[in-house]
Amino acid sequence: MAGRRVALKAVDWLAFAERVPANQRPMFNALKTRSDAIGAKLTSLPETPTVIDWSYYKSAVAKAGMVDEFEKQFKALQIPEPVDTQTSAINAQEAEANKSAAEYVEASKARIAQYEKELDKFKNMIPFDQMTIEDLNDTFPETKLDKVKHPYWPHKPIAEL
Amino acid sequence: MLSRLVLVSASSLKGSGPLGAGLVQASRSLQTSSQSLAPVPPLPEKGGKVRHGIFPEELFQLLYPKTGVTGPYMLGTGLLLYMLSKEIYVINHETFAALSVGSVIVYGVKKFGPDVAAFADKLNEEKVAKAQEVKDLAVTSLAQAIDDEKKEQWRVEGRSMLFDAKRNNVAVLLETNYRERLHMVTHEVKRRLDYQIALQHLHTRMEQEHMVNWVEKSVIGSLTAEQEKASIAKCISDLTVLSKSQAHATA
Repeated sequence: MAGRRVALKAVDWLAFAERVPANQRPMFNALKTRSDAIGAKLTSLPETPTVIDWSYYKSAVAKAGMVDEFEKQFKALQIPEPVDTQTSAINAQEAEANKSAAEYVEASKARIAQYEKELDKFKNMIPFDQMTIEDLNDTFPETKLDKVKHPYWPHKPIAEL
Repeated sequence: MLSRLVLVSASSLKGSGPLGAGLVQASRSLQTSSQSLAPVPPLPEKGGKVRHGIFPEELFQLLYPKTGVTGPYMLGTGLLLYMLSKEIYVINHETFAALSVGSVIVYGVKKFGPDVAAFADKLNEEKVAKAQEVKDLAVTSLAQAIDDEKKEQWRVEGRSMLFDAKRNNVAVLLETNYRERLHMVTHEVKRRLDYQIALQHLHTRMEQEHMVNWVEKSVIGSLTAEQEKASIAKCISDLTVLSKSQAHATA
């Protein structure tokens, strides 16, 4: 009867908790409580079962050979270890998560590049009191007055004044 | 030269405000037409220095080496007297109109000029402040967005922990199951052996009780009539002896 087989990888719950975003916190809490319950159940079971005192039973039981037979069969018994069906599924999930995470990181980097570009534009622009209207239209294209659509002053709908 | 004169006339208004922008447009259009792409230097804060509101300081500086401090004044006086005496400038009613209107204008500008300039400056300041606010907001929000994205990337790196936790759970469940099986086996075997022992004890106890009952019954059955009579006679004789000894004791 073997004891602990697979060595458990220590999970640092504190660091894990830090990385959880706020909208996934309930799921994280559920996972933690489940894991704690499972771990508590494990620690409540002793590792080896109670040893059977064969000599006492041999002396006590009158039936001839019964205890011996029990003892022989007991010692010969191999308890099968439970089959692990989930680890492969988990590994598949992990691979998929890695893929989607890589995609997300790519998209995030693209977003960062775009933000940095705009930030540079703001950092490098000339100060407002040295700008002319043309400079303003170049830096912020949305301020350009459409003189074709609204040919008469003020070149924008009255409502937007 | 033309732009210089325009600057001079605007110098009594101390702010450079909207007028200044128009001036720079004039000078800017000159620059754009010559196709130079260097950014235009910022506007000067004040217009060129003038004396008595009209005459540029450069004239006085120009004449200072040759004629000293009073030179330009002498030049001015001489020119004025020449024009009056030679009737190049004729004094007529237009002169007085010009003098009156001019003095009113000068008085008005001197009195209300600074206020008007401040008001115009304030308008411009508000526009610039609004634009600056927009810019600052944009910069802070962009920086914040970049930080948030970096944070999200850091969070994503922790995804392996989730799967470690899941695998741990699976392993622990398997281990628990295995232990439960072990315990169940030993428990069941022990139960059966204990049952056998209990059964044996029950047998011996029942045999004992049965035997005791049987012995009692047989003893009582074997008590014959004459044995009973003999035992009763014995009891009576014992009692008489006892009573005699009691009577002797009390007497």
